[in-house]
Amino acid sequence: MPLYKGMAQPVKATAEDLKKLRLIPVPEEKRVEEALKMLDNARKKFRSFVLAMESCVKCGACAEACHAYRGTRDPNNIPTNRAELIRKIYRRYFTVEGRLFGKLVGAEDLTPDVIEQWFAYFYQCTECRRCGVVCPFGIDTCEVTMAGRRILHQLGMVPKLHATTGAAMLKSGNHMALTPAGIVDTLEFLSDEIEEENGFRIDFPVDKPDSDILYIPSSADFMLNPETLKGAARFFHYIGANWTITTRMTEAGNFGYLFDQALVQKELVNRLFQEAVRLGAKKIIWGECGHGWRAIKMYYNTMADLPHRIPITHILDEAAEYVKRGLLKLDKDKNPEPTTLHDPCNYVRACGLSENMRVLIKASCADFREMEPNREKNFCCGGGSGILFDDPDMYELRIKFSVKKAEQIRATGAKVLCAPCSICKAQFHPMIEEHHLGVELYGLIDLVGRALVWD
Amino acid sequence: MPYIEVLGQQIEVDEDGYIQDPSIWTPEIAKAMAPMEQITDLTDEHWKVINYLRDYYMKFGICPMIRKLCKDTGYTLKKIYELFPTGPAKGACKLAGAPKPTGCV
Repeated sequence: MPLYKGMAQPVKATAEDLKKLRLIPVPEEKRVEEALKMLDNARKKFRSFVLAMESCVKCGACAEACHAYRGTRDPNNIPTNRAELIRKIYRRYFTVEGRLFGKLVGAEDLTPDVIEQWFAYFYQCTECRRCGVVCPFGIDTCEVTMAGRRILHQLGMVPKLHATTGAAMLKSGNHMALTPAGIVDTLEFLSDEIEEENGFRIDFPVDKPDSDILYIPSSADFMLNPETLKGAARFFHYIGANWTITTRMTEAGNFGYLFDQALVQKELVNRLFQEAVRLGAKKIIWGECGHGWRAIKMYYNTMADLPHRIPITHILDEAAEYVKRGLLKLDKDKNPEPTTLHDPCNYVRACGLSENMRVLIKASCADFREMEPNREKNFCCGGGSGILFDDPDMYELRIKFSVKKAEQIRATGAKVLCAPCSICKAQFHPMIEEHHLGVELYGLIDLVGRALVWD
Repeated sequence: MPYIEVLGQQIEVDEDGYIQDPSIWTPEIAKAMAPMEQITDLTDEHWKVINYLRDYYMKFGICPMIRKLCKDTGYTLKKIYELFPTGPAKGACKLAGAPKPTGCV
């Protein structure tokens, strides 16, 4: 489990799981009919989707650009072929030649098996958009994956991981179902650690009214990436910021963006502004999370229920500004190990963070080594878009999806891997072991915080 | 819905064997789950970890950061893995009755 006619699929959410997302699944016998209506809706609404449906000439440039195809050699993981899983249906029902000539022009009837194929392959795509960079027509195949996942969600076909994470968001305001008491206790523990390491204490202000800065960390930082939280606290303390963390929206990620692009995605955005207003924030600063940063930076104004005028920046853009102005005193020798940077896909292919990440890492690390290729040409970690599935079949794919990445890291000879994104970190924690990479894993603000010189 | 049998009672678990309702946890449930997590016998050392996690979960509603677990029990991460071969979250927290973690884990 779970294989469907030989295809690896994520474990599906149950009807009970979907209820928590306020979703009633479409009965199996009606899926085809409903899916076609949804597809019709998608083509009328999203120009980017139609572009992908109409413009591809099958040149194949995207094939070797895709880490999923390179790792599996499964032809359905070639980006254009993955898109073809929808394109053949689009052609059959929404083009003249498809309606008239059917299979002769590569058109195909929609069947329950094709929908299962969508579920398998749109959750083997990590939405990294590397194929979009190499496409001579500029087709963003990720838009097809996103359309496919949106339709699957509306049908009631959602991976259990995404559904339970979405439900946790609706309930608690973060993906990990952190409680206010748990958040406070964890942060006090980290303050103790900072005190031991720095010789002075830095407190994490929680739900503090009249704060200038609302910092939004990734909930995963509370479980897996404590150094990222500590790095952020050190940075804010260093610049003398009046900052706070809220216990009601403690999430830099946005799983809604990865499966429903509707209710869950919106809930996070609306909670964010509710909290920013409640705490009087003049600026929102985002923590280390790739997809979550894209979901906010690029989509918040279409997802928020009200117009908002509170500026939002990323902690890495923010910190880089301080470095450029000479306002942070950093000692590279505090990070002496050979260090390489994994560019999170959403930072470099969607949010323009490439250069600022380098400003920070070069100022904080004595021996920085670029992996090749890098920046917008970088390969995905293999866990992108939250495909952090742990059942044996999907886990096996995560290993295959990260083969190229492992090769890149190994070639640098680095002992420290910097991956400033929670999904990347969650993918790398086990993949460092699976590929025997022997590197330590950190975020980027972690390394900046460690390099700070306190006078 | 799958279930495990504990003292003649059926306890509801999810596909991964986590109990559905953390409030019904008893030490017997932990004993029944142990073989699924590759643990043959629950020793005092196992119970020290399980009881710590259980208390923490009841007090704070979440599992603690692994680093905190190590510090408060005095066990290294290596030791935790020796005790719970499937790991702290998938082994130890599961036996302590916490739900399966969600999000970026």
